[in-house]
Amino acid sequence: MAATPAPTALKFTGSKYLVQRLVLATLTGRPIRISQIRSRSHTSPGLAPHEVSFLRLLEALTNGSQIEFSYTGTTVLYKPGLITGSAAAGYGAQGGVIRHEIPAECGRGVSYFLLPLCLLAPFAKAAVSVLFTGPGVITASTEAGDVSADTVRTAILPLFKDFGVERDLELRILRRSNAGRDGKGGGGEVQLVFGHQVRLPKTVHLMSAGRVKRVRGVAYSTGVAGANNARLIEAARGVLNEVAPDTYIFSDVSSAPFVPAPTRENPAAKRKTGLGFGLSLVAETNTGAVYSADIASPPAGGEPPEDLGRKCAYQLLEAVEQGGCVSSVAAPTFLTLMAMGSEDVGRVALGKEVLGSEQVVQLARDLRAFGMSGWGLRDGDEEDEVVVSVVGKGVGNVGRKIV
Amino acid sequence: MAVTLGKRKRRDILVAESEQEHIDDDDARALFQRAFEAKFKPLEETVRPIDRPEAVPSDHALNEGDDEDRTSDWNGLSDDDARVEVVEHDTADEAGDQLARQEQKAFMSSRPPTATLRESKTTSQAAPTTADDEAETSNLKHDLALQRLLKESHLLDRSSTASSTMAPEGKTRVKALDLRLRDLGAKKSLLEQEKMPLAHRKGIKAKAAGREVTRRKEAVENGVVLEKVKMASQPQKRRERGVGAPSIGKFRGGTLKLSSHDVKSIERSRQQGGSGKGRRR
Repeated sequence: MAATPAPTALKFTGSKYLVQRLVLATLTGRPIRISQIRSRSHTSPGLAPHEVSFLRLLEALTNGSQIEFSYTGTTVLYKPGLITGSAAAGYGAQGGVIRHEIPAECGRGVSYFLLPLCLLAPFAKAAVSVLFTGPGVITASTEAGDVSADTVRTAILPLFKDFGVERDLELRILRRSNAGRDGKGGGGEVQLVFGHQVRLPKTVHLMSAGRVKRVRGVAYSTGVAGANNARLIEAARGVLNEVAPDTYIFSDVSSAPFVPAPTRENPAAKRKTGLGFGLSLVAETNTGAVYSADIASPPAGGEPPEDLGRKCAYQLLEAVEQGGCVSSVAAPTFLTLMAMGSEDVGRVALGKEVLGSEQVVQLARDLRAFGMSGWGLRDGDEEDEVVVSVVGKGVGNVGRKIV
Repeated sequence: MAVTLGKRKRRDILVAESEQEHIDDDDARALFQRAFEAKFKPLEETVRPIDRPEAVPSDHALNEGDDEDRTSDWNGLSDDDARVEVVEHDTADEAGDQLARQEQKAFMSSRPPTATLRESKTTSQAAPTTADDEAETSNLKHDLALQRLLKESHLLDRSSTASSTMAPEGKTRVKALDLRLRDLGAKKSLLEQEKMPLAHRKGIKAKAAGREVTRRKEAVENGVVLEKVKMASQPQKRRERGVGAPSIGKFRGGTLKLSSHDVKSIERSRQQGGSGKGRRR
């Protein structure tokens, strides 16, 4: 291995899209250097707690990766290693499960970790099983824009079927939690089991989005009355029933997580955290395209469930209106997987608004920076749709090449 | 008040009409009965259920007072509406409820929900049994018994066939079971002992080898041609190689050593025209 000279590190700046770049670096094997991470901020320069936590997760998941911080944490050098998964004991896994603790200062939902993990896991050497625990796991959607863990399960994981990854995918929500009092910390518990590894994801051709045939959803409340669920569901159904009669929203009521909160007087003290409620909606079309919407009660409170339910329903309708075979929530994941596919042209019809969103445009640029080929665009069959053609680079799974 | 009065009046009329009907009906019945009994034997006394609506005398008294209502041209509703129609709004739809529960189970499980959640319930229908079918099944049974008897007859001996049935018993049962399993494709015999002291195993193998040797020797002496000795060849396994290690040869001490076999395999693949291009990377 030492025969190949180490490629020069790609340089990026800024804290935005940090996770996306780290994932691409891991998948392609290119080292990266990210500088000027919140260097303007006087109060909290450098990496945020959730970003550090993600770097830790990367280290646990891979073998031989090197991470170097600058003194202030405003610059990171990341040399990726092999994605080993969690079957190999020793690299942070115990009994085939990586236990990842998220600190209490983390303000992002658990999907912030789950989505990149879902991108890395199909290319691991062995099965991946990660248990997210600790006082920072928020399973609900957050105000930072993270979707809920339910949406990851019902709207993101089914997409992997198109790429030939469908066996042994599981997302167990062991304990639910909304965001804590100041929007930080939770106390939930989520386990992702990703047991299907591939050499290369299949080339996809998704051209027609079809029409919405059913709407499903989960209303959850943790530590508050289950009546909130009923109110959320009624409000959402009030909007959706007129356009989609096959609407079912399931209700899940759980108690609030009890996390340790040691004080000087009582080091064994515990308190309840992560109270609130929320709703996750998923619309499925006859061709298998999935649109999703998410909402949760704000940590400060003050929003009645009826308003939130209605908002969530409108969000879903908006996502359906944007059209395309992939919604804006799933588009980055989907396009990245396409780029990692075999050296063949894959096509997917996307809504213009989805394609023009900041995140997707930035993804295209980052992929270019990592040496992937550019995308081809042409008008789709529908009015607001664009067919994106992505040529894979055949990077795929390095760990699976030799086996 | 006028509304209630109207209702009472209507019921009154209905009562009167139904009474009239009853009388007509009774007469006709009596006539028919007489005619029947004249021709055949007398019928048993049947009690007709009384299904007259109760007439409340106080209501009659009340209604007799106002004749204006009686003479109005509205005759009330027709007879059919007089019956009380019971509508049951059965909200607890059994099948639908079960479907919803199934769907909830499927959707709220930890797996990503599959596209086909609703599947039609399959009900197993018992096939109608006819005499033909019965004969067929008995024939099959006999056929199976015969087949088994033919295959396992060598296990039977005079001492063990004491029982009336021909089914093997005791030790022979185990042997027969082993035979059947081997027939179905079992790799190893049931009776083969897995664990034993090394000395025993060596002894067994030596004995078997010795027997084979004597058999061959005797065959040669008697001029019998035997089958050729089969050399046990071991299937070549692909070696597990580490990640990033060269896929051919042995890498030891900084040098890659290729055996003649490896060299041949490389040359062979080149001669074939590179058809297996990206197979081993």
